[in-house]
Amino acid sequence: MSGLKSNVIRGFKAAIARSYVRVKGGNREPSWLVWEVFLPLLMISSVVYTYQNLNAPREFVGFVILGGAMMSFWFNVLWGMGSVMYWERERGNLEIFIVTGAPLYGLLLGMALGGMLNTTIRALAIILIGVFVFNAYFNPVGIPGAILIFILTLAALYSLGLSLASIYLMYARSGWRASELLSEPMMFISGMYYPITVFPFLLQLIASLFPLAIGIDGIRRCLVLGSSINSLIWHITMLVIMTVVLLWIGLKILRYMEMRARREGRLILRWI
Amino acid sequence: MVLAIETRGLTRVFERGDRLVYALDDVSIRVPRGVIYGLLGPNGAGKTTLIRILATLLLPTRGEAFVLGFDVVREADRVRRVINLVSGGEKAGYGILTVRENLWFYSQLYGLGFSEGWRRIRELADLLDMHDFLDVRLNRISTGMAQKYSLARGLLNDPLVLFLDEPTIGLDVGAARYIRGVIRRWVDEDRDRTIFLTTHYMGEAEELCDLISIIHRGRIIATGTPSKLKSMVSKEVVYKVEVKGVSEDSLKMACSDLDWLVGLSSKTDVESGNVVVRFIMRDGDASDIIRLIEGLGGEVVSISKVEPSLEDVFLKLVGEEF
Repeated sequence: MSGLKSNVIRGFKAAIARSYVRVKGGNREPSWLVWEVFLPLLMISSVVYTYQNLNAPREFVGFVILGGAMMSFWFNVLWGMGSVMYWERERGNLEIFIVTGAPLYGLLLGMALGGMLNTTIRALAIILIGVFVFNAYFNPVGIPGAILIFILTLAALYSLGLSLASIYLMYARSGWRASELLSEPMMFISGMYYPITVFPFLLQLIASLFPLAIGIDGIRRCLVLGSSINSLIWHITMLVIMTVVLLWIGLKILRYMEMRARREGRLILRWI
Repeated sequence: MVLAIETRGLTRVFERGDRLVYALDDVSIRVPRGVIYGLLGPNGAGKTTLIRILATLLLPTRGEAFVLGFDVVREADRVRRVINLVSGGEKAGYGILTVRENLWFYSQLYGLGFSEGWRRIRELADLLDMHDFLDVRLNRISTGMAQKYSLARGLLNDPLVLFLDEPTIGLDVGAARYIRGVIRRWVDEDRDRTIFLTTHYMGEAEELCDLISIIHRGRIIATGTPSKLKSMVSKEVVYKVEVKGVSEDSLKMACSDLDWLVGLSSKTDVESGNVVVRFIMRDGDASDIIRLIEGLGGEVVSISKVEPSLEDVFLKLVGEEF
């Protein structure tokens, strides 16, 4: 078997195994319902009530629900996937992972797949509650387009998570700062609670550099405004380009950081 | 024949603020296949650093290291295919998953097939008598069970070279003996298998290892079979003496310039308060010891001539207690 093929198979097996841990572990304790569905709903509710009180158009409710649901994925990338290397090292797992010879990207892919599955369940719960409690309306015609944009957005987001995980691998706790740095500004610029079209042009341009902002905008156009896939070519193209570029950068950084971590002893020293 | 492990001039330096710490200093070892090789040394001697370099987790600062002929720096992927690592006192895995689920997880990382993984777990559960706790969550198992679990994980991929870092640390006597028995049987089953073991338990190294290196402050100071190492103190006589009424400190101070004494190690018995001392002597006999103790105002409770141990070898080579 060629080296590359064998490497990919090992990576795939590692991904399945790691996602099994993520899904099984993440759902074994029912407390996730409180932390990951009801608490985010409180924030979403406050914005919905504000819009309703201001007599904003009905579409805004759908905007907020979708923004909140998509934001769960971003938080999962930031705090779940990004920090995974830190936690694995603290638990003593990381050195064993390395010694198994399984490619690290496989573990991160598994973390991403498991995280996506868990978060999708949570996001769906948020959307369903939004529909039943706040009467949010979503156009069924836009569902195929929304699914396409959704998948591409996740691919781009989790590719970005790959680079973030490398930062945690190398700099451990300092990775938290990177996550914090990306957390609040992203809530602002991604248009979580409003369409980014309310921004001035320059800010819209900056927002369009982030996959989350493009994804949320595209999904909203499909599900709330009923846009067709054809009208979302720009969104699709941008997300595909971002996925390819971020994935390539992520894999390069991961390889580099692993070698550097071996050189500096950061795979084994937990006090760093 | 390719050696299981070989290092040449291996050096690892860590930076600690402004100063450089030599965790390993010019270490050269040759470990043939099919043996249990023990790296014996006190805490901080460099044992774990060496095992981490050989297991491809750490790069050396200088020198070369090979596992089954593969360079640990340039051919790390190949090295990883033939090795496994178990660290004593660690419980790598996920507390929320059961022991069985954790082992299956690792079996997939080692590249085993889906059903092959489950079959291997059953085999190892038989070997290590783990059936009672296979379905218990990892965060609820005892230290002894955790060590069996770790060893099972280490054997999942049937490695050709197994690195064991302090495999019996924290275990009670019975559990440690059980683990040592499994290790011995595993190597004896197939002479292509090699174990590289670090320990600071002299008895463990003596009982288990075919070949031992003693490491001190990052340098290998002696290598050989246990009997060959012990022959290094064959010209000496070792007495084990229980002393009453003299402290360890005053005893050591009084012994600092005795020409008949090669070295001594001591510890205070917590219950009786007596000091138990091992005297390694070249010239002189028991009467010299008795006179020494009595001169310090103490009393010899018991005195007996004993077989030299690796502890005595270390004491002779290093000049300080293990």
